[in-house]
Amino acid sequence: MQITTLVLMVLLPTLLGFLIILLGREGLSKKATCLIGVITTGITLIGSLILFGKSFILSEVLPKWNFTWIELNQKPIQFGFELQPLNVLMLIIVSTVSFLVHLYSYGYMKGDERFSVFYSYLALFTFSMLGLVISPNLLQIYIFWELVGVCSFLLVGFWYFKTEAKRAAKKAFIVTRIGDIGFFIAISLVFKEIGSFELKDLQIAIEQGSISSGMITLIAILLFVGAIGKSGQFPLHTWLPDAMEGPTPVSALIHAATMVAAGVFLVANTFWLFEAAPIALDVVAYVGGFTAIFAATIGIAQTDIKRILAYSTVSQLGYMMLALGSVGYIAGVFHLMTHAFFKALLFLAAGAVMIIFHHEQDIRKMGGLWKKNRVLTGLFLVGCLAITGIPPFSGFFSKDEILLAVYQDGRIGLLIVAIIAAFFTAFYMFRLFFTVFTGNTKQKGELGKVPRAMTFPMIVLALLSIVAGLVEVPTNSLSSWLMKGLAKPITTHESSIFIPVIAVLVSLLGMGLAYLIYGSKRISAKRITGTIPWLHQLLVRKYYIDELYRYLVIIPLKGIGWLLQIFDRVIIGGLVRLGGGIMQILGRMGTALQNGQAQTYALISVFGFVILIVSLLAGRILK
Amino acid sequence: MTALNQWLPTLITFSPLLGIIILLFIPREKERVHRSIGILATLPPLVLSVWMYNSFNQKLVGFQMKQSFDWIRLFDDAKISYSMGVDGISMPLTLLTCVISTLAVIASLYIRRRTKQYYMLFLLLQTGMLGVFLSSTFFLFFIFFEITLVAAFFLIGIWGYLEKERAANLFLIYNGIGSAFMLIAMIGLFLSTKTWEYHDMQERLVMWLNLAEQPVLLWVIFICLFIAFAIKLPIFPFHSWMLRTHVEAPTPVVMVHSGILLKMGAYGLMRFGVGMFPDYMKEMTWILIALGLINIIYGAILAFVQKELKRVLAYSSVSHMGIILLGIASLNQIGLKGALFQAISHGLISALLFYIVGSLYERTKTTELAMLGGLARRMPILSGLLLVAGLALLGLPGLSGFISEFLAFLGLFQVQPIFAAVGTIGLILAAAYTLRAVLKTTFGPMRESFQGLRDIRLNESIPMLILVGLITLIGVYPKIVDDSIQLTLYQMVLRIGG
Repeated sequence: MQITTLVLMVLLPTLLGFLIILLGREGLSKKATCLIGVITTGITLIGSLILFGKSFILSEVLPKWNFTWIELNQKPIQFGFELQPLNVLMLIIVSTVSFLVHLYSYGYMKGDERFSVFYSYLALFTFSMLGLVISPNLLQIYIFWELVGVCSFLLVGFWYFKTEAKRAAKKAFIVTRIGDIGFFIAISLVFKEIGSFELKDLQIAIEQGSISSGMITLIAILLFVGAIGKSGQFPLHTWLPDAMEGPTPVSALIHAATMVAAGVFLVANTFWLFEAAPIALDVVAYVGGFTAIFAATIGIAQTDIKRILAYSTVSQLGYMMLALGSVGYIAGVFHLMTHAFFKALLFLAAGAVMIIFHHEQDIRKMGGLWKKNRVLTGLFLVGCLAITGIPPFSGFFSKDEILLAVYQDGRIGLLIVAIIAAFFTAFYMFRLFFTVFTGNTKQKGELGKVPRAMTFPMIVLALLSIVAGLVEVPTNSLSSWLMKGLAKPITTHESSIFIPVIAVLVSLLGMGLAYLIYGSKRISAKRITGTIPWLHQLLVRKYYIDELYRYLVIIPLKGIGWLLQIFDRVIIGGLVRLGGGIMQILGRMGTALQNGQAQTYALISVFGFVILIVSLLAGRILK
Repeated sequence: MTALNQWLPTLITFSPLLGIIILLFIPREKERVHRSIGILATLPPLVLSVWMYNSFNQKLVGFQMKQSFDWIRLFDDAKISYSMGVDGISMPLTLLTCVISTLAVIASLYIRRRTKQYYMLFLLLQTGMLGVFLSSTFFLFFIFFEITLVAAFFLIGIWGYLEKERAANLFLIYNGIGSAFMLIAMIGLFLSTKTWEYHDMQERLVMWLNLAEQPVLLWVIFICLFIAFAIKLPIFPFHSWMLRTHVEAPTPVVMVHSGILLKMGAYGLMRFGVGMFPDYMKEMTWILIALGLINIIYGAILAFVQKELKRVLAYSSVSHMGIILLGIASLNQIGLKGALFQAISHGLISALLFYIVGSLYERTKTTELAMLGGLARRMPILSGLLLVAGLALLGLPGLSGFISEFLAFLGLFQVQPIFAAVGTIGLILAAAYTLRAVLKTTFGPMRESFQGLRDIRLNESIPMLILVGLITLIGVYPKIVDDSIQLTLYQMVLRIGG
């Protein structure tokens, strides 16, 4: 099959699905709607798998393809697709998770009256995300980047009648847009420098050294600002936990597996740019490392099941950035993939937990689920073990790669940070696990049932979470495949035995501590928080970042607004009144002239006549 | 065909008058007939302008389909000629005018008083607007420009909301002052070039401008022109008349006003500013950038604190006109393209938004943000359209607002990256004020009193859907506009040199 046909097979179904569901929402039953969604994403998944087979197994180099979108300065600006290994890998991740989430949502959203609207948004999102990951140029990435952003906004605000959802949606859009502006400026600067948006052209320009290194650094950092916004990195992370107001399938698809990883994808996709700008790499590494530990500590003190997972996502994305910043291209991308699977699993499982507890999200009100639902407990445990990095689950391998990359890059401080963050990760995940699944049920009355449509996707994701590590370890096939997409090879990391051992030990320590406090309750959580109340409060309030923004940005903006409002009313409005007043005075003077006195008229006529003659004469003479 | 094509600009401009003539013979109380005739009368210019778009030769420099003959003899060899034609700048604006006029007439269904006069004035307004874009002499331009003032004045003053008289007054005073400046400039230009034709004016001005010592008169003319169009666009601090007009004028008039009339300011700045005084524009770059940034940020911040929906939109117009200014200030092809795209795109988007708000008002009887909320529950379609329009306004890719803002900023980035970067703050603020207004209206819990509201009917939603379609079309496939403006802008930039 032609590659173009295959790409159309990947892209078109979801777009069509979006249109069909949107236009036919009155007539379609819920089952039909879901069927359309599942079939379209199914076709997309098959298409991606074929592409993956061609690229990964048959080692074909897939061609790119372009068409002209608009002309600037007599030069065509093109759209099209590119299928480097990284693009194909992203296709697989997006279509797999999207397919499973489409299936899962049938169970989760069954009771919602805007079921079809939900599916149409999901389809639009999937289309945009697929378009994003195969973009050959920065402009196209930016366009789809914004489109996935708006889908995220729509889905976060899906329950529009809830005030929190409204606020969260707005926040998600505006905070990510702050990052997007960095991206926007970066693109504009690239165009200013090389007159093109194509990644290829930029790469060549950098290799030839036709862009100054200062400019390269600036562009790289601005691109990274975009990635910070999208991937919830500090200091623009605040929207992501709030985005949990959206339905849980959305959190799994958009806010865990795919869209929030777009920032990581962007950095990986322009990795040669960052390699040419060591300062930018530093920024990526430090922001990533800081975010990893920062979000992990907040995760410890949260009580909302989805928010814990959200902070965990922020923290894991930080790990990926840390890897990329430490020239661990493979490690970052590898972790992106494994994280997509196990975090989607965790969110979907959390959704199932919420269904069982009748949409309760506070983990303090849950407990004892182990006795009620063994399957779900097992699935959730797989996710926990994978994210914690316990061998042989996939998270172990990818996290190990990251730690190795950081170690070999020589930033020992960051390595320590990453290992401590791993401890916190283990702690908050198993705090969550033990609180929800062990102990006694705290809810009275009948517990909800998990529909079968929801269980199957979780099982698939659980399997992927277990085996996904095999693509890299022990065969190194992922890294040799990804390497083909890079112009120059990146030094691979020699394995070291003591780093994985330390990491696993630290994680086990975190798990053990969580067990002592929340599992066997040997140590009282209240006592600990009681001894350091300020620290606990600091974590519960998420380091007061939201409050900080409120006082530093929103209130001053409103203040300026009110001042300008007064200025606009009094000064500008005053000018208007002045203008109107002058006109009126002129008008009165004009009427005063027409007072009916013939002498006055005659006098004016004479004056006018004199002026006329003088001016005519003057004109003649001057000529 | 060519013989007929020559007549196209004239035919398009005057074809709405046919409707006025027919309306003259219709009795006053036959309101439905007035409405039908009003709608029908806007169709010939629409069809003809689409035809014009099709027969427009994208490879031809300067005005085409030009028709001119002597009209008035002044003295010696100086005469005023009647001359109309179309080039790459006026082409898309003419189409825009026809589309928005037709949709605005369809949207006039809430007008129930003195309908005969209303539709007559409206058609007169359309003739004026089309004439402004299709004239190829300054004299005709001025006449048509004045026709739009008179027609719009009455339309605002008679059919507006509560403080309509005051709004109409302010409209007239400000635009009158603008016209006075334009008149001075026009006469000055005529005296120094002895011609009214744009093309000849341009040629002769080049001679003047190449002189080592340029007469002060030229600067005076230029400043007068600039002020005239600055008031129209409007540029800070001349914006307050426009706010009132947007709040008080009836919905269809606001659609036309913010959709087209304001764009005459942008058109004027490009046609006369960049087209005839490229060197002066270049010397003014800093002022243009400063004014553009002020417009963008001042408008955006004020839009953010408004308590009433129409005022939010009005201030957002101020902000968006700033983007046009920035595009023009870049004085390169990309920036100018952005400015022109922004004129077209914002024309469509603001027409859509004001229409939506108009139909909202018909139901809720209020546009105070504090009184609104949760309307998506009772009016999912209208709310959905409002959301789409809002997303277009804040520059979402795939919709026309993105391509125009992107190009305008990209143009400025080529020459003044730092100031362009400052301007992008406006894009963040745009997201903030648009979402604030849209979400306050449609999201959140709904008020009890809105329980009985009905969603829009199909005939109301048709203009909205058409506008959404056009906005999406330009956003997805900008070449549809780009192809016809390409060459004209290229020529314009060549004149700037450097």
